[in-house]
Amino acid sequence: MAARIIARCVRSLNQRSVYFNRVNTAATLTAAPLTHGRTFSHLTNGHKSSLAQISGGSFQVFQRRQYGDLPPLSLETIRDRVLYVLKLYDKINPERLQATSHFMKDLGLDSLDQVEIIMAMEDEFGFEIPDAEAEKLMTPHEIVQYIADKKDVYE
Amino acid sequence: MWCCCCGQFLQRQKVLGLYRDLLRNIRKIPQESDRRYLRDWAREEFKRNKSETDQDVVRMMVTQAQNHLEDLRKSLALAGC
Repeated sequence: MAARIIARCVRSLNQRSVYFNRVNTAATLTAAPLTHGRTFSHLTNGHKSSLAQISGGSFQVFQRRQYGDLPPLSLETIRDRVLYVLKLYDKINPERLQATSHFMKDLGLDSLDQVEIIMAMEDEFGFEIPDAEAEKLMTPHEIVQYIADKKDVYE
Repeated sequence: MWCCCCGQFLQRQKVLGLYRDLLRNIRKIPQESDRRYLRDWAREEFKRNKSETDQDVVRMMVTQAQNHLEDLRKSLALAGC
């Protein structure tokens, strides 16, 4: 019971991710001046002194920031991914595909296919491409340029 | 749909916008098999009527597509997607 109150108390003091390391819980509990009589509000009133008495080296609180992000993009990787997605598209002949091949003139696709291709690119790179800009992208090279532009990739 | 006459050009933009909205909503469907089925269905429907030139027929089909899109949106909202 007291252990739970201690845990709640520390969590309320610090909202970031906190790592607990209780070295000797039994000893702490017996040594602590806390009894069942102490109320929760008394504990959370920032009575750091009592906490310090309890902890006295037996509590170690580590702060850890956790970030999650994707690896940085480069023009090379963008180009590879765009061409990969295009090769997987069933209406494109992989042998005839080049970075500068026009979807409609060279690859014989129509505007519905172009919509599907841009949707596939949205899925691959994880961001939405608005309609007005999507309909202008007619070659893989233009798609690469657009994505590099949006993702601030310079080389 | 492919003529460069102004009215038909706007019609074309509307159709493409509809197709895109449809695909975006189909993406939200939870089951992969349902997603695939609806994507194929949408593709079939649009491709089949691609060469229609009668404006009234095109308008009717656009309205139908808009209804389908609305139904899909409502179903997705009900399902909580």
